[in-house]
Amino acid sequence: MKKLTKEQIDKALKILRMPEDSKLVTHLNACVHCGLCATSCVYFLTMKEDKYVPARKVELVASLYRRYCTLTGKIIPKLINARELDEKMAEEMIDLLYGACTICGRCVKHCSIGVDIAYVVKVGRQMLAAMDLVPPSLQSIVDAALNTGNNMGITTEEFTDTIQWMEEELIDEMQDENARIPLDEKNKNILYTLNPREPKFFPLSISAMAKIFYAAKESWTLSTSMYDVTNYGYYSGNNEHAAIIAKKLYDEVKKLNANTLVLGECGHGSRSTRWEGPNYLSTEYDFTTLTVVEIINDYIRSGRIKLDKTIINEKVTIHDPCNLVRNGGLLNEIRFAVKSAVADVVEMDPYGNDNFCCGGGGGQLAMSEYNERRLNIGAIKAEQIRKTKATIVVTPCHNCIDQLTQLNHHYKLNIKIKSIAEIVADALVVEN
Amino acid sequence: MTQLEFDGDGFLTNPDIWTEAVALEIAKADGIENLTEQHWAVINVIRKNYIEKGMAPMIRTICKETNLKLKDIYVLFPLGPARGACRVAGLPKPDGCV
Repeated sequence: MKKLTKEQIDKALKILRMPEDSKLVTHLNACVHCGLCATSCVYFLTMKEDKYVPARKVELVASLYRRYCTLTGKIIPKLINARELDEKMAEEMIDLLYGACTICGRCVKHCSIGVDIAYVVKVGRQMLAAMDLVPPSLQSIVDAALNTGNNMGITTEEFTDTIQWMEEELIDEMQDENARIPLDEKNKNILYTLNPREPKFFPLSISAMAKIFYAAKESWTLSTSMYDVTNYGYYSGNNEHAAIIAKKLYDEVKKLNANTLVLGECGHGSRSTRWEGPNYLSTEYDFTTLTVVEIINDYIRSGRIKLDKTIINEKVTIHDPCNLVRNGGLLNEIRFAVKSAVADVVEMDPYGNDNFCCGGGGGQLAMSEYNERRLNIGAIKAEQIRKTKATIVVTPCHNCIDQLTQLNHHYKLNIKIKSIAEIVADALVVEN
Repeated sequence: MTQLEFDGDGFLTNPDIWTEAVALEIAKADGIENLTEQHWAVINVIRKNYIEKGMAPMIRTICKETNLKLKDIYVLFPLGPARGACRVAGLPKPDGCV
């Protein structure tokens, strides 16, 4: 690593010294070293090295806080294990805060004191981002979103061509010339968003959702210029980038004058838009923001769509995305949707708020640097799935879907992986 | 065969050293025993797009130019178009949730 400049170090320390944020100070000083977090973490459980204990990750940031923000640390740092922010420290932080944490927050639930460990890890990432030390693979996704409007650099022409293709398929399947996937239409009830991997490589989830909107006779549209629900600024730790991306989506809702922003099936995209977006922009959103799961449940409860539970004859289990369940409150909503579409639903052990991360969260799926670890930690999820004897795993997050697809191959699980829209579309009874 | 270098994700570090024999080797590692004419059609579209535009093609382009159905692609490459087909075609890992 290149020698850190004084300017870099100052930028990082500025984040530690945020005077307005008492939360940070509290959470950096609260750990009692009980060790309960160790066995809640997929990294420690699978690789059994002390460095992976979540409290150790907190300690990295806390030791810098003690060094630069306390009197004893400034005078006799060794006395309180306060560490310098130097190249060695930065390398350790990159390796553990980017490369060994999915920000799943399972340790936070298990912490005896309630330390928001995931939050501290994110502050550490913010410090690294301030020093321009975001892993290149993660930064390139943020750059693509900033420069092209979506994280895969898809051109408008390519996007439009793909959506028209899906529209033709929808017309065929519904046997209705009037079936539509509307683009850039103003004054619709819903602006729907996607994970760019859908148009790029996996468009069946787009047609599944289009089919549900068709059956519900919804007034909706996609945007050709800003449809990307992801915001990797959330994981890179650069809040300025995160804010620019959040603003693009906010502006698009306003431009098209939609009543409701519906977030495509993406854990961090939902979290960074719905819960963090207003903070990034210091603006209260004056439109409704809902996830796919909630809008589908609304259709089921109000009778706008009808599902037939006898169509899917396989055992189905649910993978709870950390950002939507433990950190998003959708535990029961996901179950309502899946159980409305499927008769035989079995839970993993543990599930819900205590569920294990798939291993792909926190930007891990994007960071090739840590691929081996990602597949290692996925062993826990693979075993959980195997024990359910389910042949279909449903999850409302495309990032989880991709990690599960790799786990399926790597650990020979022989399962199918579907989004909520896909499983609901499979059970849908369309009455023309 | 020369020692092949892969990145952490199993994608070729240097896409320029790709050959048909390399494709076969990667495919085997993915559990694809034989590369059929259909596999090659997909691989060729991906490589052509990569050489011309520097990135993986849309799945739309692959289907259009090979006349294969969308679902066929997922059967041919069980790991999907990105981690499956693009890897066999010697491309670097596409950005994003793939």
